[in-house]
Parts: sequence; structure tokens; C-alpha cells
Amino acid sequence: MPKPWNRRGGNRAARETQILGWLFVIPSLIAVAALVLYPMAHGWWQSMNSGGFLFGEKPGYVGLRNYRDVINDPVSREAMAHTLWYVLLAVSLELVLGILVAVTLHRVFRGRGFVLAVLILPWALPSVVSGVLWKRVFDPDNGLLNSLLMQLHVINQPHVWLAAGRGPIVYITLVHVWGVLPLVSLIFLAGLQSIPDEVYSASAVDGAGPWRQFRHITLPLLRPSMAIALTVGTLLAISIFDEIYVLNGTALNTRSILIQVYNTTFAQADFAHGTALAFLLAAITAVLGALYAIALRRSTV
Amino acid sequence: MTSPGWRIAKLVAVLAIIVWSLGPILIGVSTSLSTQREVNAIPTRWVPHHPTLQAYHDLLGGTSNQRAGGTVTEAGTFTRSIYNSAILSAVSTSFILIFATMAAYAVGRLRFKLGGAVLALLVGTMIVPIFVVVVSLFKVLAEPPVGPSLIDTKGGLVLVFIATLTPLATWLLYTQVREMPTEPEEAALIDGCSRWKAFVRIVVPQMSSGIAAVAAIMMLSVWGEFLIPLLLTQTMNAKPVTVQITEYVGKYTTNYPILAAAGVLALIPPALLALALNKRITGMLAGSS
Repeated sequence: MPKPWNRRGGNRAARETQILGWLFVIPSLIAVAALVLYPMAHGWWQSMNSGGFLFGEKPGYVGLRNYRDVINDPVSREAMAHTLWYVLLAVSLELVLGILVAVTLHRVFRGRGFVLAVLILPWALPSVVSGVLWKRVFDPDNGLLNSLLMQLHVINQPHVWLAAGRGPIVYITLVHVWGVLPLVSLIFLAGLQSIPDEVYSASAVDGAGPWRQFRHITLPLLRPSMAIALTVGTLLAISIFDEIYVLNGTALNTRSILIQVYNTTFAQADFAHGTALAFLLAAITAVLGALYAIALRRSTV
Repeated sequence: MTSPGWRIAKLVAVLAIIVWSLGPILIGVSTSLSTQREVNAIPTRWVPHHPTLQAYHDLLGGTSNQRAGGTVTEAGTFTRSIYNSAILSAVSTSFILIFATMAAYAVGRLRFKLGGAVLALLVGTMIVPIFVVVVSLFKVLAEPPVGPSLIDTKGGLVLVFIATLTPLATWLLYTQVREMPTEPEEAALIDGCSRWKAFVRIVVPQMSSGIAAVAAIMMLSVWGEFLIPLLLTQTMNAKPVTVQITEYVGKYTTNYPILAAAGVLALIPPALLALALNKRITGMLAGSS
């Protein structure tokens, strides 16, 4: 039996709320379903099917074979090793430098507003543009870094490490960190702001100097911020693409997993193995994300 | 903390932050004002001896292959890519803000059935790495259920940006809705205002500072997008500046002045936006983490 909604007006308002609620979320839901969830399902299906006519085989369901292929593929393996380097280097640099920046900018001083405004600029720029700005610095022939080192008589001739071996991975990471550090610094700055001043003044009464305060108060209390920074830093570094593409293209010595996905899918038109590698990367990301979430919960309890 | 040693250390640290942040930008400006000859000079010139706008002239007006040293530019191409980026940023951001404001209010305030599930779904999508979507997006956009292919159109890109960025915008605004006082809206409802009117007249103005910050973050995100438009555009019909700029990177030699000029022009809009709204942006980024 329908309730007499006109008696108190409450039911009518409640129904209006229900309808409005759904009307308000439907545009977002449709967009996400059509252009995120559906392509994802499509890609998942594709990763379980053979590459088809391009490779002279019958298209059809092959289960996890594409995944096995990419795991056994030496180039993909190399890309995974490179990605591990990118993540380890980027995250450790971001954590150390981020804490240093945050500690420097924590207390109010003259010009702090200006420094904060300048600080976020690298984050606001497209990572492609970061790559463009840094490219001349690391040019292996006549780059600014080589010239500087030669003028300082650190080296006698242009150094090839900028072009070969692990060198390019290091400087591409540096360019990546340039763009991400502002975000990580802000995370630590927010963390520092949440530590009450009384903790410091109490420990000062007990005779603790700045170093001991940093070691025994700041660092432990920053652990939740560290977990967040670690997560953000890892997610951004594990999918590194733009900086590599600009600074070294799809060259083998700096290829990350995502560059390999791009190369497999679009240069070799092998959608099946490309999507398999992409989902493999997503799985790794998800596992890391879950581990960090557990670490974050531990650090806040 | 105020001993002279600490103060000097702090001063050095502050200077280091400024140099680290601005250095590459200044190098870019300096390079864009050089000629190819000055870039190749030994010893290196950090600042050109004879500053010139030639690189900008070549970039915007087009140039013969020889003078630009390996980099070919065509008149109007770069300006067209800047125009595309501006349209993409403005249109995508407008739609994202409308969708996300409504969704954030709905899941944050309206007690409607399955509201929690909707929030979980949107936040879950935020975690989906874009690269598992991007490969298949090409096929989805090439053969949409209705209408012609959306590959290489600004409309197709706008749809993709809306879908991929609305969840983040919703989350950022949701955290704000939860912290806003509810009294103004309740007072309006008691006065007989409908929920829709209360939303438009009371809640949206209350959210305005958050919306401004999210608008800036979304514009910066769309302007900086690279992988998605790299895969989904082919011609100047939709190609944004981030994709166009990589075409000035030579395979063997690069004309640094032209490349740097493109970089400087591409960074001016986001830099101005970040400087103008820096307090709101830093507040939102730090607050919602």
C-alpha cells in the first residue's frame, strides 16, 4: 500500500533525494563504464586471445599463453628490470629530497610564499616539456652537463655514459623526479603541519637538539606521510613513459614496461601481447598498492 | 634552531630549491634565444652572446630544412597544436567539473540507495592504471556503437579525458563536501527550497574554492596528457602540443633552439595557471592526500 506522501511531505522529499542522487551520478557512471570499464574488459579478453592473422595463426582463445610469452621474452624482461630501477631510484630520491624540502619550508620565513609558488612549477608542467627542457643538459655530445664537467676538469672529453649503459636510466629518472618532487614535498609538508608544536617544545625542555628531534620525533611521526609518498611515487614511476619517449625514444637501453607495451602494440601491431604485458604491469601495481595500504594502516594505528 | 650554522644551512637549502625548480626553465628560455651555432659553441654558452628570436620565428613561421639543421617546421602547425590543447583543456575541464560536482554532492550528501557503492566504483576506477585502457580505447573509439570513428577528433579525446579524470575530480570534491557545514543547505530546505535549487544556490557557491582548485588541476592534467593523444591522434585536426613537440626532437641531431622555443611556449599557460592559483592548488593537493 503506498504511503500518503502528502501527510508530512517527508516521503516526497526522500523520493526526490533518491531520484536526484541517481541523476547526479549517472553522467559520471556512463562515461566511466563506456570508456574505462568496457575497454578494460575488452583488453582483458584480447590478452587471452591469440594475435590472429598477423602471425599466421588462427585467432582464438589461448588462455594465459600471451602472459607466458611476455614473461619469457628477453626484451620484456629487460624492460621489467629497467622499470624496477626507475622505481627504486625515483622513490628513494623523492623520499629523501621530499623530506629535506618539507623540513626547509615548514617554518614561516620571509619569502616562503614565493618559494612555495616556485616549488610547484615543475609539477604543473607537462612531463613531455620537462624532458624537452632537460634534453640539452644531458646531450651526450655537447650537453651542458658534459661541458660543465669539462670546464671543471672533472673529465677530459665528453662522457659516453650519457648515451650508453645505465647512465640514461639515471638521468631520465632525475627528470622524472624533477616533476614529481613538488607533489611529494607537499605531502610531507602537510605531514609536518599535523605534528603539534608542543611535542617539540617538550622535547627541547628535555634537552633534545635539532638532530635528535628530527631523528626521534619528526621521522617517526612522518611515517603515514611516507607511506602515502611511497605509494604516489611508485605508481607514477612504475608507469614512466613520457620522459623516456622524449629523451631516448624507444631505445632498448632505457625501455620501461610501458614503452615496451607501446612498442609491442603499435610498432609491431601485436595487440594481444601488448595488452597482456599491460595487464601484467597492472597486476604488479595492484600488489604493490595493496602492500602499501597495509603498511599505511600499520603506521597510523 | 637559530644558531648561525643552521641559518646558513637553511639559506643554502632554500636557494637550492629555487635553483632546482627554476634552473631547467631558465636553461630552456636561454636556449630558445640562442642560435644553433651558439648552442654548439665550445666552451658552452649558458647565456647566448647574441640573443635572438630566430628560433621562435622559425617555429611559428616555418623554415627551410637547411637553416633549422634537421628540424622541419611548418607555418601554423605549432599554433594549431596550442589551439587544440587549449580547446581540449577548456572543454574537458568544463564537463569534468559539472559531472564531478554533481557526483561528489550526490555521494557526499544525498542519502540515496547504493550511494556508497557508486563512490567505491568511482574510486576504484581512479586506481585503474590508464595503460590497461589505452590500448583498447583505440579500438573502441575507432568503431563506436553509433556514428563515425572518433580517432583523431577532439570530441573523442574530450570523451576519454572526461572518463579518465572525472573519478579523481569527484574524489577531490567529495573530500571537500564532507567537510563543509550542512546548516546553510538544511536551512534552505526547511524554507521550502527544493533539493535541486538548494544545490545550485547554496551548495555550489559553498564549493566554489574547491571547484576552482580542481578546475586548475584538471586543466593542468589535460594540457599535460601525452600517451592518450599520442595513440589517438594522427593529424593536426586534434594533435595537442605535447604530441607535436616530440616531433621537433630529431632522431640523430636536434635543433635545440627550436625545440626549446616550443617547450617555452607550451609551458607558459600551465605555469601562469599554477602561479595564479598556487595557494589553492597546494592546499587541495596537501589536504586530500
